[in-house]
Amino acid sequence: MVRCGQGLACRTLYGVIELKRLTKRYGGTLAVDDLSFTVLPGHVTGFLGPNGAGKSTTLRLILGLDAPSSGQALVNGQPYRSLSRPMHQVGALLDAGAVHGGRSAHNHLLCLARTHGIAPSRVTTMLQQVGLAEVARKQVGGFSLGMKQRLGIAAALLGDPGVLMFDEPVNGLDPDGVRWIRELMRSLAAEGRTVLLSSHLMSEMALTADRIVILGKGRLVAEATVQELTARYPSLEDAYLALTAKSLEYGSTGP
Amino acid sequence: MNVLASEWLKIRSVRSSQILLGVSLCGILLGFGLASMAADMYDRAAPEQRPGARLAELEEVVLMLPQLCMGVLGVLAMTSEYASGLIRTSLTIVPKRWPIMAAKSAVVTAVGLITGFVVIFGSYFVCRATVGDRFSGVYQTPFADKLPLLIAFSLTVPVFALLGLGMGALLRSTAGAIVLLVGLIYAIPMIVGNLPDPWNSRLGSVMIGALPREITGDAITTTVYGSLLSPLAASAVLVGYATLPLLTAVWLLRRRDA
Repeated sequence: MVRCGQGLACRTLYGVIELKRLTKRYGGTLAVDDLSFTVLPGHVTGFLGPNGAGKSTTLRLILGLDAPSSGQALVNGQPYRSLSRPMHQVGALLDAGAVHGGRSAHNHLLCLARTHGIAPSRVTTMLQQVGLAEVARKQVGGFSLGMKQRLGIAAALLGDPGVLMFDEPVNGLDPDGVRWIRELMRSLAAEGRTVLLSSHLMSEMALTADRIVILGKGRLVAEATVQELTARYPSLEDAYLALTAKSLEYGSTGP
Repeated sequence: MNVLASEWLKIRSVRSSQILLGVSLCGILLGFGLASMAADMYDRAAPEQRPGARLAELEEVVLMLPQLCMGVLGVLAMTSEYASGLIRTSLTIVPKRWPIMAAKSAVVTAVGLITGFVVIFGSYFVCRATVGDRFSGVYQTPFADKLPLLIAFSLTVPVFALLGLGMGALLRSTAGAIVLLVGLIYAIPMIVGNLPDPWNSRLGSVMIGALPREITGDAITTTVYGSLLSPLAASAVLVGYATLPLLTAVWLLRRRDA
């Protein structure tokens, strides 16, 4: 598909994440079990599941950080590890705390940018865009979780990629920040990008996502649009609880 | 080249690197302190005791400081990324993985090399000026005669930086890697020195501390290490210290889940 952003030349985007019978075993535990689904461009796809369902493992497998035991995870038709210049194809925020506390926000982003020859001016622009321009020269160690989330989002967007993955980006953000993320996710999808967003906040997900993928015990529980789910259940939260009831890893034993 | 620029910025944008570099450079002050103390003792000794007074090469004592500091620099270049989780981001944006290690190696080698030469040659000239013609003129030998040994001393500093980097990448833990590194400088040579003959000199000959003198063929009888290796063999062992842990680490890094 073709995307024409503001001030950017038209370019073809193949922003697709495809999982084909993806399986990951750690010792005797199946973390991801025969998982197949496709994430398409132009939508925010919510990635849901109870704690321990395998969401983060799936994201790590997509990013080539862990090697699958069997099956494949493809980004733009290729295994992630064979992508050239991956920052321009995929941006990911897995853990906002994964920054060296002694480095400034500007230097942190510049370290990432330099691997792809991305100009320092792009770093400055991104820091402004996520609202961190005033603390750009401050050490990241002193940042709140919300500020680190903003920094992580800036890092993911540095290379202007077509595929974006965010693991719990709303954690630690104030109401203002939550709304900002919601609007950012929707605008990224509206630009034709593929956005995969994991979160436990159902009300927020109902407002942000178009499509939903639900995981339970490493398996695919449901793949549907938010509309389909809210038509069948009173709310997205009810849909989620009903669908994952059987696959709770660490559930409470009742009210 | 881009990854190299990134790793260079990574290392110079944290304070720990600046501190380690600063402490390394204090080695020159340490050399001056030791030389002044020795000169003072010599001057206060009775004239008839002076001809018998001996002074060890002070650069060899000073050397431990930049070795340890640059070793820790190498360790931290890797383990600070594991401790914070930044390694996942690094490996995501450079999915081939080995260029990260190659770039880190190049950066710590360059920093270690310059630091090693500055500290060793700096302390040599300071000690030479301070000691003067005392101690039977131990610091009066021509500079050209001393040059090979000073170069060999200096080269062990980038070796420690690479060794630290390799240990850090293998163990992925700051504390573990530093303990191993300190063990290699202090503990293991002490244990080896106390082994029964001939194992003390056999194993002592492959300790890093023994290698500079074996490389230059400048063996002294009072050494705590052995001196069995030829210059070529000793050079090979030195290169091995720098590269074997590192290559193992690269091999593992490409296979292990991050």
